[in-house]
Amino acid sequence: MSSWRSRSRQSNTSRISDEQINDLVSKLQMLLPETRTRNNDRVSSAKVLQETCNYIKNLHREVDDLSERLAELLETTDMSSSQAAIIRSLFM
Amino acid sequence: MASIPSSSSSPSPSQPKARKKPGQTTSPPPPPQTKWRTGTQERLYSRRLVDALQATRDRAQPPESVGSRAVKEAADSALAMTARGQSRWSRAILFNRNSCRKRVLVKAGGKIRRHRRKHQAIPPAMEGAGATSGVLKERKVKERLKKLGRIVPGCKKLPAATLLEEAADYVAALEMQVRTMRVLAEALSAAAVSVPEEEEMEIAEQGS
Repeated sequence: MSSWRSRSRQSNTSRISDEQINDLVSKLQMLLPETRTRNNDRVSSAKVLQETCNYIKNLHREVDDLSERLAELLETTDMSSSQAAIIRSLFM
Repeated sequence: MASIPSSSSSPSPSQPKARKKPGQTTSPPPPPQTKWRTGTQERLYSRRLVDALQATRDRAQPPESVGSRAVKEAADSALAMTARGQSRWSRAILFNRNSCRKRVLVKAGGKIRRHRRKHQAIPPAMEGAGATSGVLKERKVKERLKKLGRIVPGCKKLPAATLLEEAADYVAALEMQVRTMRVLAEALSAAAVSVPEEEEMEIAEQGS
């Protein structure tokens, strides 16, 4: 199926309805912590997309930091001895 | 939880969805927030993560230590598997793991150059066409959609609606990943603190 972008570059018609797009954008907006409190009317789709990109980049960075921390921890701790603590914490 | 599609073991890149028919939408999957925030997913993921980390550590040769990149890859693979391959980004992550890394890097290098040329070529052409403010806003939205497509794995050429769905699912999944990894790191560091104390007590008892 042709992409919405290439089709509607010149014309105004798009295969996927604008309502659907707006609905999805508002769904994204509810996920982002920054735009969740504001009304849907005030935030434009461009802003939501920008916030999404930034948020995903932030999450990637947090994952990287946590990976570093976990890598260091894995070196020092012995998994078998602390597995009980881990399993306990997982079920809390 | 969403039902598993018929082709779960061999996911095809373009699954025929009912989007072409007007007025008909796909069967509503649970919204990303609720799907990824249930305790079940977190427990599933954390167990898978622990297994993956242990496997990574066993696989790494003892003199070498486990690198942070290996941990991140294990975490991402575990996350993609917890998604059960129902979303495009999860399938893209799993496929990239299996394929040769060098091949992926070479492809990415060529594509990045092409993207840069396109970016430089397109804006001057469109602005010279006497665009109204509405079209300019559309151009902004499209650029950001493209940017989003580059960030979410496996979503470079998707139509807007699919891309937005994938992005929502990806954001929720990443949030869960961060939460779980943090809990695990806290648990490990707490265990690391308590174990040396026990060892010290044992040594003290043996010494006396």
